Amino acid sequence: MNLRYASLLLLLCPIASAQSDRSFILDQSTLTYHMTHPIHEVDGVSHAAKGKGVCHTGQCDFLLAVAVKTFDSGDSNRDLHMLQVTRGAQFPIVTVRFRLPESALDSPNLDCDLEVQFAGNTTHYAHVPFHQVMEGNRHHITGTVPSTLTDFKIDPPSFLTVPIKNEIPVRVDTTWSQQ
Amino acid sequence: MARHVSAIRSRFCFGTMGLTALFAFVPSLAAQSSDTPTTALPVTATSTSSLPDAPTPTDAVLAASAVPSLSLNFFSTAPYQQASATLSSRSQSTDQNPSPPSLSDLGLTPDQTKPDPDAQARLDRRSHMLKIHQRLGLYTTIPIAVACISGAGAVPDKNSYGNTTSRDVHVSIAAVAIGMYASTAYYAIRAPRVSDEPARGGIKIHKYLIWIHAPGMILTPILGTMAFNDIASGHKPTGIAQYHQAVALTTAVAYGASIIAVSWPIHFPHHGAQ
Repeated sequence: MNLRYASLLLLLCPIASAQSDRSFILDQSTLTYHMTHPIHEVDGVSHAAKGKGVCHTGQCDFLLAVAVKTFDSGDSNRDLHMLQVTRGAQFPIVTVRFRLPESALDSPNLDCDLEVQFAGNTTHYAHVPFHQVMEGNRHHITGTVPSTLTDFKIDPPSFLTVPIKNEIPVRVDTTWSQQ
Repeated sequence: MARHVSAIRSRFCFGTMGLTALFAFVPSLAAQSSDTPTTALPVTATSTSSLPDAPTPTDAVLAASAVPSLSLNFFSTAPYQQASATLSSRSQSTDQNPSPPSLSDLGLTPDQTKPDPDAQARLDRRSHMLKIHQRLGLYTTIPIAVACISGAGAVPDKNSYGNTTSRDVHVSIAAVAIGMYASTAYYAIRAPRVSDEPARGGIKIHKYLIWIHAPGMILTPILGTMAFNDIASGHKPTGIAQYHQAVALTTAVAYGASIIAVSWPIHFPHHGAQ
């Protein structure tokens, strides 16, 4: 009899752990890169990011992906040049991966180690702070990735023979919903 | 009778043993013939559930194992080696832990994520040609400006129609301006088109202004030649030749505006500091 209970317990254990797994889907996103030139300040915006997060055994893995060509700076010519310098046809997707302890998901401040794949290069950004506001099942997360052109071996494009600044911070505004 | 019954029994026993041996042999045959996937795959798939120690294939596991088989083909190219490695490690441990999400989990199709070297080559060529266009266009402002200035001095006094020096200088500089303008235009026209989407932003005005300065650049030297011949004949330019200066100035202004348009909006550093 005890053996039956024990085997039933063993059978139920994986089910119980499976039920505790959480997953997240990216509902809304606004990713904005900021480019600085001596006579220009340009913001390129994309709302086309897709993302998913999966939690298991206390760790949550997130993936966010966005097509380079979806960034709109308000000038189609500039966007095509951006696509060229970032090798956006050869490497069409930017991916951001990060892992968080499940216990940290409800915290208002998130400390993320990001792995960003962009323009054929992978760069790690450690301890990037994000701010989180929770509304029911929805997690509104904002922050800025301190990316630079040299991080991804991108030659700085120039305008009127003057190159742009190396710093291209990317502002992240995302809303994730728990499934 | 007893012999007949025992014969039936022995036939039944041998028959049972034979059937048992046959059924026991079939899976091993299927396993050995796995190098012929067209026949082996369905057998393997159906026999999995009948094996006593086989894990029960749940929907989640089947879905997870189906994704890498699609994704691995797509991610086999160099840019996605890392993602591919992640996926392959994931497929090995899929029955243990749910793996980190992959691009295919996000609903991205291979068409959306595959590299396009041809498109990249077109983009590279386009950017290269437009950089030359931009640089030549900036340099062309110098002869255009000088031609405008020298044009003011090229208008002869009533008593000096025979002195052609100032006009010759103006014509020479204007010829340089027109030649450089044509070269600038060539690099813009020959740059490959990479998108059929309508132009947005400053480039749109830049393109509209072509309809002013391009005809102007053709008309100005024609009117200039007519005006030159009129003056050489000893009288002031008449007819449409008298509009040479007005057309030239309109062309120069449109040309300058097209440079500003493609640079618009301009933010000077002190604006950003405020």
